[in-house]
Order: sequence, then structure tokens, then C-alpha cells
Amino acid sequence: MDGDDLALFERSLRAAVERRSSAELDHALDDLGWPDALRSDPQAAVSSLFALQGRAHATSDALTGVVADALGIDCDLDTGIVLPAAGRWAAPGRLEGRTLHVHGAALAAFASRSEALVVATAGDDVVAVTVPTASLPRRPVEGIDPWMGLQEIDARGLEATAVPQPVAEGWPAAVARAQLALAHELVGASRRMLELAREHALEREQFGRPIATFQAVRHRLADTLVAIETADALVDAAWLDGTARTAAMAKAVAGREARVASKHCQQVLAGIGFTAEHELHRHVRRVLVLDALFGTSKALTAALGAELAGSRRLPPLLPL
Amino acid sequence: MDLDEYRAGLDAWLEHHAEALAPAHEGKGTLDEQLAQIEKVKRLAFDAGWMRHGWPERVGGLGGSTLLRAYLQEAVTARDLVEPGLFSMQEVLAPTMIDFASPELGAIMVPRLLRGDETWCQGFSEPGTGSNLASLACRAVRDGDTWRVTGQKVWTSLAQYAERCVLLTRTGTVESAHRGITGLFVDMDSPGITVRPIEAVHGSEEFSEVFFDDVVVPAERMLGAEGQGWSVAMDLLPYERSTALWQRAAFLHRRLQQLLELAPADSLDPVRLGEVTQTLYAFRARSRATQHRMADGGTLGPETSIDKVLLATTEQAVFDLFADALAAELTTGDDPASSQWRAEFLYSRAASIYGGSSEIQRNIIARRLLDLGSDR
Repeated sequence: MDGDDLALFERSLRAAVERRSSAELDHALDDLGWPDALRSDPQAAVSSLFALQGRAHATSDALTGVVADALGIDCDLDTGIVLPAAGRWAAPGRLEGRTLHVHGAALAAFASRSEALVVATAGDDVVAVTVPTASLPRRPVEGIDPWMGLQEIDARGLEATAVPQPVAEGWPAAVARAQLALAHELVGASRRMLELAREHALEREQFGRPIATFQAVRHRLADTLVAIETADALVDAAWLDGTARTAAMAKAVAGREARVASKHCQQVLAGIGFTAEHELHRHVRRVLVLDALFGTSKALTAALGAELAGSRRLPPLLPL
Repeated sequence: MDLDEYRAGLDAWLEHHAEALAPAHEGKGTLDEQLAQIEKVKRLAFDAGWMRHGWPERVGGLGGSTLLRAYLQEAVTARDLVEPGLFSMQEVLAPTMIDFASPELGAIMVPRLLRGDETWCQGFSEPGTGSNLASLACRAVRDGDTWRVTGQKVWTSLAQYAERCVLLTRTGTVESAHRGITGLFVDMDSPGITVRPIEAVHGSEEFSEVFFDDVVVPAERMLGAEGQGWSVAMDLLPYERSTALWQRAAFLHRRLQQLLELAPADSLDPVRLGEVTQTLYAFRARSRATQHRMADGGTLGPETSIDKVLLATTEQAVFDLFADALAAELTTGDDPASSQWRAEFLYSRAASIYGGSSEIQRNIIARRLLDLGSDR
């Protein structure tokens, strides 16, 4: 997409993410041609939608679409995809012969699909198995962010009747894409928190002057912007270099920096930010869930560190 | 020449002339040795043309994108050919000369800096003027076709080696603050200049105090117009946070790789190692975007303060990781390699101080990027 197309697309997306429910947003995204954009220009489609979704605290099924696209699966409206359970990024299923065990999560739209695709390890292989959605026991997650509509799936000993399809390189690629999408969403949520804290700092007066004049407050907000731009730069770089490792780094940094942003912004918003009526807490909650999906910053960082300590070789640097 | 062609050509040239380019000294070397090495590398690279790419033709360059300069900085740093901080000074001083010196002066002087024929220094800070640059007091008084300069500078890198100085002087009243400052390009062998080196914590006399006692400077050595010195400073400071920082990222990448090779098994905490690596890659990604913005003709401004904060965080994190993993080398190692690590660890403490402290950068971010208004 060129500059004008992208601006138009983003304007339409902005209107779409204002919708209240995931189902409404999903319909709006279909109408807008977001799934086509995902195929033709994944970076533009993913970065613009997820940044806006993060900002607006909106939910959609787009993450499922991103995973399906990266797996090379033409996911029709009747097939849902099981995502890894919170905190994990390995394939959610394990296939032993024809017996399938699933420990995963799904987004709100999953409930309305009749079939579910489970990516599963089968010995050394990774395969995709389709099962009836109804056969997967689901628990609606209230958790720290009840607005997210997340569901937890735990199934042991299912019989897989459909023939498993190989996905080969597909799963790491799908994880990388999902991590980039989530990183954009985390950056979007962080930017919104900074906006809220900034407005408050300029309006709220203490000791006869706006609290934005106090250096302690200014430096917290400055550190928040540094945190956000740090994450954003690495996410852009991850698109450029296209490796799964950089995508995981970007997700980890975006998660960590979003938590830095939460902390600073909640401190600046102080009492009002502690109330249920103020918007802030929704973002603080969402950030924690987004950080957990496809690997927490802590776990991804530890995995990277262990890999480097083992290989004693830094990954190549993004060239100029 | 495009970047890919330049990269391939320069890499091949560096490879082919590895022996001629290699430092004569072991480890970090003395300051004299570091400077001699920089002069050698610059001369060879200038005469072979590589040092001239990315600079305008009117100052002896061969034109082309500023990305070529960034790659040169990266390539020589990644091979440990030069002391990176000192080598990158040209990336700070030459662009300012190009922007503010008269075309004749720029055409004569800039090639001397790029070829390593001369060393230059930057006379900004004063004993009473650290973060509050606009309060500087080193006085210049107009006397016919000359300026007469009296006052003192401090933290002037390489002043004892320098042939020239980009000097900020007070030409208005002290109350005129940033409006009454004028930039001058001063010959360091002018009568009345005394240089007294300062030994810094990392064991190097990199900085000096410089005293000016009625030093005569011809008026044609003005950088910009009278009273335009603040623009000179504001022009220079973002350069300090662009190509120079890209090179710094290359340096830190090399040191982190060496640390990975050196550290005993189990001495590296995986979470810290992962975090430092991520921070370094994010710093590099941020700096890359800045290089491209500059190459596309964009002006660099307050957003480079984010790059500078990130540099300080990254550099200190890399050397803190070293201090944790190789505590014996840091504290009691006396071999050249340990001495070099120790010097670089100590120098890394200054990353949040020089070139505008991290507090000043946060003030800039708050006022200029977040638009939080004045802080009083």
C-alpha cells in the first residue's frame, strides 16, 4: 500500500475499532477488506490494525486470522484456531497416534465456529488437526481482563478422525507473526496510556501549578515515551529482518516496555487512575494479558538468554 | 555509489589492507597510540576514497548518501581498528563546519579533518556551564576585523592534540542567554591559549581545560553570523546523536559478542543476557531509523534525545553485564585485555553524562516531544 492508500485504510480501521463488540469489529474488518490486505501487505495490515486495537482497548478475531495466514491456511468463517495457552508459544496440541491432547486458548469468535484447527506436535513433526469445536471443553476466562473474551481450552484424549496436515515451518512463522501483531497492540495500548497520563498531568493542579511542571512527573512521562519508541523501533526492525528471533525479541521488549508504561502512567494518574470509572485500568489489564499471549516478556527473554549462553554467538545485526 | 556497492567495496578494501590498517599497539593503547592509529586509518581511507563518500563535493567529498558514512564508522569499529569515541568526533564537527563556516573556510579545513591531517576539538562546556549551555561566559569582544577571546572551557576532548577548535563564545550580555552567543573556529596554536589535560577515571587524559587569554581570532573565522552561536550548538548536538550513535551500537555489539566468548560457563544470568541483547538490538533499530531519516534529507531534532537516552541505557547495561560476569578481570586483572575492559567499563559510566546528560535529554523529551510546557 502506498502512503495515500494506507492513510485511507487507517482512517477506516480507526472507525471500525470504535465498535463495541468483537463480532461487530470482525464484520467491519471483513467489509473493509482487511483479510485481503493481510495477504497482500501483511506489515501494513497488521501494524495499523493492531496498533489501533491496542489504543482503543478493542477486541477482534484478527489474531486468529494472522495465525491462519502465516500457516498458509485459508481459514473460512466456520473454522477457528486454537492458540497457545497464556504464557506459552509452543503448539497447543500433542498428537499420539490418533489421540489428541489440547491445552490452549481461543478468542471470542471461536465459540461461533463449528470446526477448530489444532496445531499439534506429533513426535518430531508439527501437524494441523481439525476437530469439531463442540468436542473441545472450553472455560470462558474472566481473569484480569474480562473484556477480552478469552477462552481456555483443555482436552485430553480426543479422538482425531480427520487426517493430520503437515505444517512444517509453519508454526514458528505463525508464532513470529502473532508476536509481531501483539507487539503492535502492546505499543498501541502504551501510547494510549501515555496520552491519558499526559492530559491528566497538564490539567491536574497541585501547589498552585499543573503537575506537568514537576520534573519527577515529566521524567516519568519522558521515560514512558522512551520505552514506547524503543519497542516500536524493534518491532519495525523485526518486520524488516523477517526472522522469528527478532519477532520474539520485539514481543518481549514491547511487553516489558508496556509494563513500564503502565507503571509510570498509573503513578502519574494517581487516585483517578485507581478508579474503575477511569479508562486507564482497562489498558493496564489488557497489557498483562497481551504480554502473556505467545510468551511473556520474561519467558521469551530467558529463552533468548539461554540460547545465546549456549551458542555464544549473537544473532546477526540488522544491516543499515 | 549506493550502499550495497559501498559496503562490498569497503569490506573488501578493509580485508585486503588488514595488515596495513591494524593498530601497532596491543589492547586499548595509550591516547598517543590511539590518536596515531586514527590518523593512519583516516589517511589510508581518505586516499583510497572511502572516507570521502557521503560528504559534499565542496568540502573534498565524493557526494552520496550519509548512510555511506554511517557504514564506514560501523565497519572500522566492528574490526576494532580505532578507538570508536574519538574516531566519531569528525561526524560531530565536520557537519557543523559544512553548515556554518564560510564556503572557502569549509573547503580548506574539512578535508584536513577527514584525512586525519588535523585533529579538532569542541569548546562548549565551561566550569560554570555544564547542562545549562546558554549560560556560557567565555567572552569574545569585537576589535576591528578580529575577535578577542578571554575565558575558560573544560571537558574539551583532545584539546592537547587539536589544531582547531569549534568554540562557543559570549558576545552579548550574560542576560542575553542563548541569543548572545557566537561560534568561532579557532587555531589552537594562537598565542594566549593554554591547555591543561585532565586525567579521567578511565585512565586517559582525553579531556582538557582550555584557557583563553586575549586570544585574537580573525572575523572570517566566525561560524554563522554574530549571535548565531546557539544555532551552531543546536545544529551540532543532534549530529552527536546520529552517525556517532550508530557507530556506538556497532561497538557495543562487538563487545557483547566478545563477552559471550570470554565469560565462564554459568557466569551469565540468562535473563539479564537476553534483556541486554534485546536492548542493544532495539537501540540499533532506533538508530537505524535515524540514519535513514538523515539520509533522506530530514533535519534531526529533539527526537534524537530518545536515541541518546537509549545509548546510555544500552552502554551501561552491556558493561554492567561484563562487571557481573567477569568480576575478577574487572577488579584484579592486569593483562592488556582486562585493562581495556576496565577502561571501557569506567568510560561507560559517562554515557549518561556526556553530550547532554540523561536528565537533560528527559527534559527535552518532556518539553519538545510530549509538549508538557515549561517546567516552571
